[in-house]
Amino acid sequence: MTLPDFALARPDTLEEALALLGDDQVPYCGGTELLLAMKVGLQRPETLVDVKRVPELRGVRSSHGELVIGGASTHDDLSRDALVREVLPLLAEVEAHVGNARVRVQGSIGGNLCFAEPKSDVATTLIALDASVTLQSSSGRRTLLVRDFIVGPYYADKEPGELLIDVRIPLVATRRGAYVKFQVTERPTVGVAVVQDTETGACRVVVGAVGEIPVWRDWASVADIDVEELSSAVDPVEDLTGSERYKRHLTAVFVRRALRDLERSS
Amino acid sequence: MLAEAHLQRITARINGVEVTRTVAARLTLVELLREDLGLTGTKVSCELQVCGVCTVLVDGSPVSSCTYLAIDADGRDVQTVEGLADGEQLHPLQTAFVESMALQCGFCTPGFLMMSKALLDRVPDPSPEQIAKHLDGNICRCTGYEPIIRAVGCAARRLRGEADHE
Repeated sequence: MTLPDFALARPDTLEEALALLGDDQVPYCGGTELLLAMKVGLQRPETLVDVKRVPELRGVRSSHGELVIGGASTHDDLSRDALVREVLPLLAEVEAHVGNARVRVQGSIGGNLCFAEPKSDVATTLIALDASVTLQSSSGRRTLLVRDFIVGPYYADKEPGELLIDVRIPLVATRRGAYVKFQVTERPTVGVAVVQDTETGACRVVVGAVGEIPVWRDWASVADIDVEELSSAVDPVEDLTGSERYKRHLTAVFVRRALRDLERSS
Repeated sequence: MLAEAHLQRITARINGVEVTRTVAARLTLVELLREDLGLTGTKVSCELQVCGVCTVLVDGSPVSSCTYLAIDADGRDVQTVEGLADGEQLHPLQTAFVESMALQCGFCTPGFLMMSKALLDRVPDPSPEQIAKHLDGNICRCTGYEPIIRAVGCAARRLRGEADHE
């Protein structure tokens, strides 16, 4: 599988990067999705715009009650980042189990979201945490909730000239959460994230991997959670990892396990 | 002839030796290693970052060299399985793999060795569970994995200077 021919640009600034992007000039970071898509012929861009040197896409910081994660941060970076481990241990733990150790070293959180891979642990978790993404183009900047950004399988609400700059997660001191998944191949069959505000009791459950996009529900309390409703609301994709009926069953089992883990979390 | 934007001049340290080449943007690191530099210890199989046979270390981190652009190695330190032994002296991981019968056909072994080195460089005293989790992206069809996990544990003990015990 030889890669098709392409040009590579390595801009040092955000302005340069944005000026280079276009219909056939696509952002390139870790390549864990893009290079595979190019190998199998699904994409054949003229130019890859390497965004790894753009300072705005790097690092993690806390700002105005939000955790701001540069889009080029790798899964491995985030699993070990001291600030993430301190303020959002749930995300650090999820990142430590994405793909395999090489994918974690190469793959970025921004690329993961932009490719809208249906079996992403990260998107499921970020929707539970009410995260948003910042998109910037030469003409301006906009912010979108991750749950609105992921429009369909392998389809995110991003224009060709836009770059995902960062992921922002509201920091809520009274929040606790859990993520569980069932996985027999290189991607999960089902992943369930649950996040609760312990002050109000309100909680959100997100079911990912089982269908084309994550399904989420908000409830006023854990006692209100209707596991049967949720497992019938998901739209499972039948594949080698199981039938529709099996995946609905797994969904119910893993929602219950996520709730059990939530009760054990601090 | 490729257009200029498709070619770049890169310099990387590969197993301690500085290498400068003009490479096409589409050239993968494993193609540079095997076809240009003759370092055929690194294998290629799935080409989808799933099997792990092409694992090399870039600045100490494991990457799938089948899906890593050679250009991205510019200015970096690359270590392949050829750089593991110290002259004629095998690395403790290599010795432990041989002694524990952690290989049969050997095709996956370079990848397992480099992946294991990345783990031990970061975690000198891993539990068998940590070893298994770290290696879950590497596929071996001969050993059943148990001997590999034992070998990595054994190498870790020797690297820490502890005596062997079973």
